[in-house]
Amino acid sequence: VKFNRGRHGAVTADVSAVEASVLASAVAQLLHLLGEQDAVDDDPLAAMVGLPSGDVRRPEDPALARLLPDAYRPDASGDPQFDAGEAAAEFRRYTESDLRTAKRAQADRVLETLASLGGSGRLQLDRADADAWLGTLNDVRLVLGTRLDVTEETYEQPLPDDEDLAHALQVYSWLGWLQETLLDCLEPRPR
Amino acid sequence: VTAPAQLDRPETEEVVDPDRPWVAIVWNDPVNLMSYVTHVLIELFGYTKAEAHRLMLAVHHEGKAVVSTGTREQMERDVTRLHGRGLWATLQQD
Repeated sequence: VKFNRGRHGAVTADVSAVEASVLASAVAQLLHLLGEQDAVDDDPLAAMVGLPSGDVRRPEDPALARLLPDAYRPDASGDPQFDAGEAAAEFRRYTESDLRTAKRAQADRVLETLASLGGSGRLQLDRADADAWLGTLNDVRLVLGTRLDVTEETYEQPLPDDEDLAHALQVYSWLGWLQETLLDCLEPRPR
Repeated sequence: VTAPAQLDRPETEEVVDPDRPWVAIVWNDPVNLMSYVTHVLIELFGYTKAEAHRLMLAVHHEGKAVVSTGTREQMERDVTRLHGRGLWATLQQD
């Protein structure tokens, strides 16, 4: 499978049954991960008045933390009064839920386009679909890359003897190639 | 006898100008494709291809690059948008 430019700005890809199944399973795992709840200390008063509540902490799972990173590092300001940990928590409290929702909506859209194939066949993506695919392929690669602890040299190294690990690295590498073919079809649009 | 006049000289401390601008920084990571980072920088900030490519290379070779400058609120918005695209971004006071 690779992405091609179709007519009228559409993007197409001929997807085999095996490829569709690998993609659907990877996206389903992403959705599952994004659905996991954070450790939240609920504040009933805030919930009553509709304010974001609780102390939303950085996810402990490194893959989820990579999708939902801290916005402030400890050295974010030279001001000794500035509490970067509190700033990061505050930022997370107000933005993380929306970020999860947006990523889930994007992944849902990818699953819908895959389901429309009924197993295998030609994907026909309009620009909004293609953007969802681009973002979701990236999220899936972030999760897999974090789990596999890849480095910039991973592609140059021989595959490990462990069959499961070798297979996962091949899927990771294939997803990167697939994302690259999609990027080749999409002219960036500033917005 | 006399003593030298006491000069009223406060301890010097680093004073941080609260008006100093904030910056949004993109950090290098081993997963994001070079072409993808360039694509996102064009779409989010309206950089030309050449500018976005130069910033992407700075991220790749130097480990990070400033991609946007402004108030803290503006940089929080930009970091939110960068996280939406899966780039590893933080904001800090310049």
